[in-house]
Amino acid sequence: MIYTLRHLTTYRYGKPVRFARCSLRLQPRDGEGQSVLSSELTISPTPRTRTVRRDYFGLDVVSFLIDTPHSELRVEALSRVAVERPPLPPAESGPAWESVRDTALTGRSMAPDAPVHFMFPSVRVPLDPDVTDYARRSFTPGRSAYGGAVDLMRRIRTDFKFDAKATDVHTPLAKAFSLRAGVCQDFAHIMIAGLRGLGLPAAYVSGYIRTIPPAGRPRLRGADASHAWVSVWCGESWIGLDPTNNIGACDDHIVVARGRDYTDVSPIDGVVSSSGPQKLKVEVDVIPDGEAMPEDAVAGSEAETA
Amino acid sequence: MTDLAEAHAGGLATRLARWTSDYQPRPGIPDEFAGAGGTRRGAWPRLLDRLGTLSGTEITTRFASAERHIRDTGISYRIYGDQREHAWPLSSLPLVIESAEWRALSAGIVQRAGLMESIVSDIYGDGRMVSEGVLPAALVAGSPEFLRPLSGVKPPGGRWLKLYAADIGRGPDGRWRVLADRTQAPSGPGYALENRMVLTRAFPDLYADLHVERLAPFFQAFRDGLVMGAQRSDPRIGLLTSGPLSSTYVEQAALARYLGLLLVEGDDLVMQDGALHVRTVAGLKRTDVLWRRIDSDYVDPLELNPASRLGISGVLDALRNGSLVMGNMPGTGILESGALAAYLPRIARYFLGTDLALEGPKSWWCGDPDSLAHIRDDLDGMTLRPVATPTKGMGRDAILGPHAIGAERDRVLAALRDRPFDYVAQEQAPLSTMPGWERDPEGMRLVPRPFVLRVFAAATPEGWRVMPGGFCRISERPDVDPIEMRAGIKSADVWVLSDGPVEPVSLMQQGASRVRRIAGHLPSRAADSLFWFGRYVERAEAVIRLVIAHLGSVGNAVIADMAGAETAPTALRIRALLDEWGAIEAPDLPTAKLAQEALGGRDTYGSALSHSLSARHNAASLRERLSSEAWRVLADLKDLLDLDDAKELAEAQLLGLAERALSHIAALAGLAQENMNRTAGWHFVDLGRRIERAINTCSFAASFAGDEATAEDLGVMLSLCDSHVSFGARYMQGVAIDPVRDMVLLDPFNPRSVAFQIDAICRHLADLPALRVDGLPEAQLRLAQKLAGEITTGEASDFDGAAVARLENAFEGLADAIVTRYFPNGPHAMRPQKLVGLA
Repeated sequence: MIYTLRHLTTYRYGKPVRFARCSLRLQPRDGEGQSVLSSELTISPTPRTRTVRRDYFGLDVVSFLIDTPHSELRVEALSRVAVERPPLPPAESGPAWESVRDTALTGRSMAPDAPVHFMFPSVRVPLDPDVTDYARRSFTPGRSAYGGAVDLMRRIRTDFKFDAKATDVHTPLAKAFSLRAGVCQDFAHIMIAGLRGLGLPAAYVSGYIRTIPPAGRPRLRGADASHAWVSVWCGESWIGLDPTNNIGACDDHIVVARGRDYTDVSPIDGVVSSSGPQKLKVEVDVIPDGEAMPEDAVAGSEAETA
Repeated sequence: MTDLAEAHAGGLATRLARWTSDYQPRPGIPDEFAGAGGTRRGAWPRLLDRLGTLSGTEITTRFASAERHIRDTGISYRIYGDQREHAWPLSSLPLVIESAEWRALSAGIVQRAGLMESIVSDIYGDGRMVSEGVLPAALVAGSPEFLRPLSGVKPPGGRWLKLYAADIGRGPDGRWRVLADRTQAPSGPGYALENRMVLTRAFPDLYADLHVERLAPFFQAFRDGLVMGAQRSDPRIGLLTSGPLSSTYVEQAALARYLGLLLVEGDDLVMQDGALHVRTVAGLKRTDVLWRRIDSDYVDPLELNPASRLGISGVLDALRNGSLVMGNMPGTGILESGALAAYLPRIARYFLGTDLALEGPKSWWCGDPDSLAHIRDDLDGMTLRPVATPTKGMGRDAILGPHAIGAERDRVLAALRDRPFDYVAQEQAPLSTMPGWERDPEGMRLVPRPFVLRVFAAATPEGWRVMPGGFCRISERPDVDPIEMRAGIKSADVWVLSDGPVEPVSLMQQGASRVRRIAGHLPSRAADSLFWFGRYVERAEAVIRLVIAHLGSVGNAVIADMAGAETAPTALRIRALLDEWGAIEAPDLPTAKLAQEALGGRDTYGSALSHSLSARHNAASLRERLSSEAWRVLADLKDLLDLDDAKELAEAQLLGLAERALSHIAALAGLAQENMNRTAGWHFVDLGRRIERAINTCSFAASFAGDEATAEDLGVMLSLCDSHVSFGARYMQGVAIDPVRDMVLLDPFNPRSVAFQIDAICRHLADLPALRVDGLPEAQLRLAQKLAGEITTGEASDFDGAAVARLENAFEGLADAIVTRYFPNGPHAMRPQKLVGLA
C-alpha cells in the first residue's frame, strides 16, 4: 500500500516570538516493511539555520532556529511511503518469555534496535509494581513471549476506555493506569511498562494509521491523527502490536519513529522566547493511493496554554 | 574557645599524654594514628609534638582569627533542599600523610583516573568492552547516565574527563581503597583550597616546618588541562553553575575567582552559528571552554532532559563540531555506577593488562546469574541497591542493610525475582578512622573518628596529576558516616608531607604575560544583579532616612511640648510615603512601632530589612565579583536590621540603630567608590544607585517640596537629602520653596540632587559598550541626555508638583530602557517557554 501523508503543525502566539529553537521528528523512516518514496519539510518563517542529525535510534532529527519576530510558526511534512509488512506470526508461536528475557540480557549488541535498549525504565515509562502485576497475568510460566504480548494487548483494549478528555500529553502513566482510560499514547506506555516490568524489551512507535471515513461521507482534510503503538521483542524479531485497536501493526500502520517512549519520538520539541499564550493546531492526512484527495473543512486537534 | 585551644591546658608532656594515652583504635578497624599493638604511625607524632609546643593562648588567638576569615569570606555550604547556608565547620586537626605513602596512593589514583577515561571513551566510542563481552551491554544501556546523544562524539582535545575524584578510606586489611568514584562533576577542590587557607593562617610555622606540599601548582595544572583542545589561543573559560541555590555554589564562586573563570548560568549562554556564546553587556561573546558543575542530563534541554532550566539549548552541537571544550564531558556520570564497580577488576586487566592498585569494596551485579546465586546464599554483611542511582558510597541509598532479616529480606528477594539486573550488591565494612577531639570531664583528648578522604586528579598536558591534599570529612560521632556534609560532620585539611622544604608558589603567572586593563566583558546577568544591588541598597537608605526624619520631627515636637506630634501634617506625609512604599502595613501605628516595622519588618516588602535582603540576594549571585569586605558589611547591615518582632524598642534606640545602618550603607558606597575597578561592573552598581536616588528624590520632592509645602516640610526635604548644612551655609534666611527645590533638584554641585544623578548617569552610559547596529545613539542614552537637558536648563520655579511627577516617570522610563538594552535575558526579563505538545 502506498500512502500520501501530510502533517501540518501551526503555532499561533499571543505575542510575537523573538526566538525559537526546535527539533522535529516528522519524517517517516525507511525499513521495517516500509520505504519512503519522498519526503519534504516546509518551515515558515524561514529559519536562520536548519540542520539534520541522525539520533541514536536511527531517526533523522531536524533542528532549526528562527530569530526573526513571528506570530505564527508553520511546519508541514509531506511524504509518500510504500508499506508492505508480513502478517502476524501464528498465535502462541516463538520462544518462551522467560528465555526471551534471559537472552535479551546477555546480548552483546548495542545496535539501535538491540533489545537491551528497551528493557529499562525511561522518562515516560517508570516501572510500577501494579502495572507489572497486571501484565503478569498474561505471562503464565512457559508461555511464548509473543502469545503473552498479544494477550496483554487484547486485555488493554478490553479493560481501558478510549477517552481523549481523560488524559493529555503530560499525564503520568500511573494516573492513566488507575483511570483505566486514555488515548493511544497512554495505552502504549502502559503496555510497555508491563512488559518491561517483567524484564521483556518493548519499544514505543509513533506514526499514523489508515482510517476509513464514515460510510457515504468524503474524507475530511486534516481529520486524521498521529498514532502510537508498541513494538515487542519476541525473541527472534520485533513485532508491532497496537493496543488501541487490538491489532498487529501491518499495512495500515506507517512508522515515523521508534524509541523508548514518547520523549524519544515527540514530533516537535523546542523553546521559544515569549511571554504570551500559545495555540497549537495539528492537521494530519493519511491518504491511500487511489482514494480522492480530502475535502476542505474545519478539522484537526488543538491545544493551548495561557 | 576551639577544641584545640582547650586541649592545650598544662605543659607539653602532660598535654600529649592526656591527648593520646587512652587512644585505642576500634577493634578490627584500621586507624591513621595508632597501628597494631599501640604503635604510633607515620607523621602523627611529629604533628602532635609540634602542636603541643604552642601555648593555649596562642592557639586561641590564631584559630579565632582563622575562623573569622571563614566567616568573613562567607565559606559555607547548603544542605540539599535547605534555603539557609551553614557555616563551614573545620577541624583544627589536619589529616597528615607521609610522602612515601602518598606516592603509592597517587600512583593508584592516576591508574584509576586513566582507566576511567579509557572506559568512558570506549562506551561512547567503539564499544569494544561490550562487543567483546568484558562488560554486559545491559550495564551501559540500562544506565540513566548513558546519554545516547553523546554516542560517537569525539571530545575536542580527546578527553572526556578533566577532573576525577575518588572517595577513599582504608579497608579492613589496612590498605587504601576507593569507596566511590566521582566523575560527573566532582565537588570539593575549592573546599580543599579554603581549608588550606584557614589552616595555614592558623599554623604558618607548623605548616612550613612539616614541609607540607602546596596546592597552587595543582590548580595551575588543572587550569592548563581544562583549556586543552580549545580552538582559540586565548580561550574564554566559564564555570557552568546551577546558581546560588546549588549546595556548593559558594565553592564554585570561590573557584571561579581563584582560577579567573567566568561564573555563568545556563541563561547567560546561548548557541549561535554553531558556537557557544555568553551574553554580555557588549553583546554575544564566544565562549570556548566550560567547566561543568551541573549534572550532565541538564546540560542541553533540546537533546537531553527537556525539563532542564539550567542548560543551553543545542549546546551538544558545539561539542560535536569541536568549538566547545567541556570538562567533564556530559555522560561521564555513567562511571559512577555501582554495577560498573563490580566489573572494574576485569576491565583493568582488559585495558591495562594488570590489576587495580586501589581496589574497591567487592561488588556483584545481580544480572549475572552466578553473582545472583552467590548473594542469594549469603546476603549477610551486604548492601543491595538499585543500579540506576549513582553510588553515594557505603550503601547510603541501599534498599537492604547488611543485617536484614524476616519480612525485609523477603521483600528484597521478591524485587530480585522480576528484574535482578536492576540491583547491585556490595560487601559492607565500617569506615576507617583518624584522630578527632573529644571533650571529657578532664579536658580534651583524641579519639578515633570515621572519615572519608576525597582526592582529586586533573588531566593536564603532562598527564594525570594528583592534588597533594584533598577534602577530608570526619565524623564527630562514631556512628555517623561522613559521606556528605551535614550535621555532625566536620571537614579537615589534608597535609601531604614532602621529604624536603617546599618552594613557595602561587597562581602567579610564569614568564611574560600580556598586560590588560579591561577585565573582559561583563555577563548581562551579572550586570543585572549589580544594577539591582545598587538600587536596593539605595532604596534601603531612602527608607532609613524617612524613618530618621520621622523620629526627628516627632522628637522635636515632643521637646517643644506640642500635642499631636504624630498627627502633624509633615509627620502624616512621611507616614503616607512609607505606606506607599510598602515599608509599613498601616500608616497609623505609634511612632516607635512604625519605625521598627519600617526598619526591620520581615513581612513588609518595602522595609529597609527587605531591601537589604534583596541587595544581598542579588549580591549572592555575584560572590566572585564582590570583595569580602563588601560581603561582610552587607551581612552586618542585615544583622543590624533583623529586629526581633517580639521585642519592642524605644524611639531613641531605633534612632541610633537607623543611624548605624546609614553608616553601613555609607561604607558600602565607599567600598564601591574606592575599591572597585572602573569597569562595567562598577558602572552598573553606580547606575543602579543613581537612578534609584533620582527617583526617590523626585518622590521626596513631590511630598515635601510640593506647591503647598510648609517650612516644616522643607526642613524634612533638606534632611532627607542630607542637605541641611549646605543649605544653611548658602542661604542665611530661613527655608523657602525655590531655593530648596533648586538645591535638591537642579544644583549640579549637590551630590544628592537629581541634577547630579543625571549627570553621573549620562557619563556611565557613555562609558558602557554600545552595540551600534545602526549608528544611532542607543535609546537609553538618548533618554538620559534629553532628561539632562531639561534639568540643566530648568529653573526652580518650573518644577511644581506636576513637573516633579513627570520627572519621576521619566527616570522610571530610563531605568526600563537600561534593563531592555543591557539585560534582556536577565532574571527580571521574560524566560523561554516550552512549546506545548500534542500526542
